Amino acid sequence: MPGRYRESPLKKPSRAYIALGLEGSANKLGAGVIKHDVDGSMEVLSNVRHTYITPPGEGFLPRDTAQHHREWALTVIKDAVAKANITMHDLDCICYTKGPGMGAPLQSVALVARTLSLLYEKPLVGVNHCVGHIEMGRQVTGAQNPVVLYVSGGNTQVIAYSRQCYRIFGETLDIAVGNCLDRFARVINLSNDPSPGYNIEQEAKKGKRLVPLPYTTKGMDVSLSGILTSIEAYTSDRRYRPQGEPFEESEDIITPADLCFSLQETVFSMLVEITERAMAHIGSKEVLIVGGVGCNERLQEMMGIMAQERNGLVFATDERFCIDNGIMIAQAGLLSYRMGFHTLLAKSTCTQRFRTDEVHVAWRP
Amino acid sequence: MSESSWHTVTIRVPFANPKHANIAMQVIDVDQELQREAVKRNLAVDGNDLVATFATSTVRLARLTTNGFLENVDLVARTIGEFGEDSERKPVLFR
Repeated sequence: MPGRYRESPLKKPSRAYIALGLEGSANKLGAGVIKHDVDGSMEVLSNVRHTYITPPGEGFLPRDTAQHHREWALTVIKDAVAKANITMHDLDCICYTKGPGMGAPLQSVALVARTLSLLYEKPLVGVNHCVGHIEMGRQVTGAQNPVVLYVSGGNTQVIAYSRQCYRIFGETLDIAVGNCLDRFARVINLSNDPSPGYNIEQEAKKGKRLVPLPYTTKGMDVSLSGILTSIEAYTSDRRYRPQGEPFEESEDIITPADLCFSLQETVFSMLVEITERAMAHIGSKEVLIVGGVGCNERLQEMMGIMAQERNGLVFATDERFCIDNGIMIAQAGLLSYRMGFHTLLAKSTCTQRFRTDEVHVAWRP
Repeated sequence: MSESSWHTVTIRVPFANPKHANIAMQVIDVDQELQREAVKRNLAVDGNDLVATFATSTVRLARLTTNGFLENVDLVARTIGEFGEDSERKPVLFR
């Protein structure tokens, strides 16, 4: 990596720090406790999550999701604190997702965070959801300075770090890749348990045929809404068989598995391309994949092939950290808290739009 | 439309003590109403009670605002109920 050596502004702490992180920007309600110790180590004490799963063919709407979070918040938080073997009094700060995400669910979690903050007289730390993913990915994988591909149901961004800012190199021009996959899963009525993306991945493994789809990279960015329209149109194609079985032997058919396979191959290739562009631009050899779609092993495989051709490495985490969780909020929150940042109660609102590059990354050189 | 023809709703929520009522007020007051021109909100503490007064330009808004407020105050009240006692039990530090 070009650039002169800069000393990290984050020093080893003089005492252990513990933070609680609360996440609820989409349909996952998570609470996690992290500990930063005097030797510089960062330990996950607990990571508890409950997901709001809708019936097949249905997405999750803000009002019902917020209701789910209100029902589960206290249980999940108590569970996380108990599993971490601490009391609320041991916490240094309470971190919560300030944004981006869905308004009502975010606000439900913020209400609980504020209440706990006043009851236990602990400072609040508002955290950017995207930065949370990045910091947890860095911590778990140990990647030094990777190009980050952040792909989830709500976000699709290619990010690189420079001078205390996570800069967005490329992103989706319309919908997120996870959103595209989830909405297609609804069209073919796949189960949402454990997540629609997981079920698309399993279905795609049975695919035998690659159907033509638009390939819409736009320079450093991607566009996905047109691909969604195209793949949905295939379900009206006369060759499409929803049950996956031909009416007669040796018929030319398209199955749901073929469509899942084609969709994944196309969108993942596009993501690999824009990631490679960013890598070439800044001369990086590492890729870190974060966000729910990062669990997808086919995406990891394709990224790995590209990285290997450039003598690079791909870093990814498992579903505990890929999928939205509370511990990533605790991690990013505690890092900024240790650099002197906190959120005043009157300012502890939530916002649906919160750009990754709006955050001052004070803890990195 | 003059404000004298607006619809008003007053809700009283009792808490265990004024401290808890104050916490609830502070927590809920942070978020602004989504339609600030059409919904006026006032939160206050009277003894052990949180008193919320809403003035809205339409009946529909009165229903939505009241419903939203009650959902939020229920969450805050349950949180205080769950953690309130434990928060009073400050640990004694031995140095």
